[in-house]
Amino acid sequence: MKDIQVEERAVSDHKSKITARGVQVYYGQNHALKDVDVDILEGMVTAFIGPSGCGKSTFLRCLNRMNDTVSSARVEGKILLDGDDIYDRSVDPVQLRAKVGMVFQKPNPFPKAIYDNVAYGPKIHGMTRNKAELDEIVESSLRKAALWNEVKDRLQSPGTGLSGGQQQRLCIARAIATSPEVLLMDEPCSALDPIATAQVEELIDDIRSQFSVVIVTHSMQQAARVSQRTAFFHMGHLVEYGETGQIFTSPQNPRTESYISGRIG
Amino acid sequence: MEPHIRSAFDKDLEGIQALVMRMGGLVEHALLQAAQALETRDDALAEDVRAGDRAIDEMEDLIQTECARIIATRAPNATDLRTVLTVMRIVGSLERSGDYAKNLAKRSLVLAQMRPVNGAAGSISRMARTVVSLLKDALDAYISRDAHLAEDVRRRDVEVDQMYNSVFREFLTHMMEDPRNITACMHLHFIAKNIERVGDHATGIAEQVLYLVSGEMPLDDRPKADTTTEMPHVQG
Repeated sequence: MKDIQVEERAVSDHKSKITARGVQVYYGQNHALKDVDVDILEGMVTAFIGPSGCGKSTFLRCLNRMNDTVSSARVEGKILLDGDDIYDRSVDPVQLRAKVGMVFQKPNPFPKAIYDNVAYGPKIHGMTRNKAELDEIVESSLRKAALWNEVKDRLQSPGTGLSGGQQQRLCIARAIATSPEVLLMDEPCSALDPIATAQVEELIDDIRSQFSVVIVTHSMQQAARVSQRTAFFHMGHLVEYGETGQIFTSPQNPRTESYISGRIG
Repeated sequence: MEPHIRSAFDKDLEGIQALVMRMGGLVEHALLQAAQALETRDDALAEDVRAGDRAIDEMEDLIQTECARIIATRAPNATDLRTVLTVMRIVGSLERSGDYAKNLAKRSLVLAQMRPVNGAAGSISRMARTVVSLLKDALDAYISRDAHLAEDVRRRDVEVDQMYNSVFREFLTHMMEDPRNITACMHLHFIAKNIERVGDHATGIAEQVLYLVSGEMPLDDRPKADTTTEMPHVQG
């Protein structure tokens, strides 16, 4: 057992990357998220678990203002990224999403070359001055996403021609190409086979030294494997949030207990 | 606790706990029979206890294998995980207690060839009955998730310690009075020490109950009364 892992489990001095206070979300009349307070810690993987419709994806989508695109959605409360309110009028959601990247459930590469999939973000955000710099970002992103060796000889073939697992890693490469500070993942492995899942989980563990990762997953075992913190949502409430090992061996709340041991749906 | 959505999981967990109770029954029986064999100098009964230890060992293997299978196939969490972990620790304690019963039976065969030491077999028998009642209560506390009863077992282990202290002095006196008692008293002392250890295992099981119920191991030192390590044993 590495000492560092034990240290992490102790109440950590990790600083809070995202601070949410009193967050409420309404979809029209439907009160989807009720008074959520949470601190997402830097350099850690935080897993959101809970049954379908519990609000975990809704909360995830608040963190990079994806809910702005849903016309009926209304968000109240405060969400701070490094102390700055991300819902402040002066914040450009597009810039925010470069800092807070997202990977979705189904791999959704652009119908373009592998290279262009990764180069797109850095290009539109004007992160490079020339082709050489762009090449460098594409390569390093694909390397971080553990995909480089498989695609380096066919960077100009369409991203949609890759296998499902490769497509998902391509989407991760695309998300990290803009050097985000936080990476949000909404069930990133639900469409992948066990080997591709293991590769993505390995990747998550690798990249968390550089980004804070928040992952929504329906696989309890995946949450247990990849995260250091786990938050359990139920019916719009954040029921319990704590160190992952503690949540899975001795949860404090009976609702958490029932859910993670397979007693309520 | 409400049942699992997958009912086969409940059956698996109930299954291993039922096996633990059966194994506990075998160990309690072995201890009482061994103590009786000592008291009544019954060689046949002692041989039965020795032979019966194999069944206890096989039971342990079976339960450990079942636990490994549940971990591999069901990936238990929370209380389910603690149930499997505590079962594995408890059967370890029971197996060890079974070994002590077997050892008692073996020594009783040797002691049956010697001159009886006055009152010793009776004291040992009382100690064995006390320890068996602790073991029984610890297992009852386990199956009914009864933290109060578990605490009670932890407290009552003091009685066993005190009985051990008193037989320790008793044997010492016998040995000083007549050196011909030394061989028998050495055997009797090992027996008493082993029974005292069964008491510690019962306490350990009670602590597993507290862990199962609360998710935390009890921190405070349980009461102890074994003072023989502090006494000046040999005089003169």
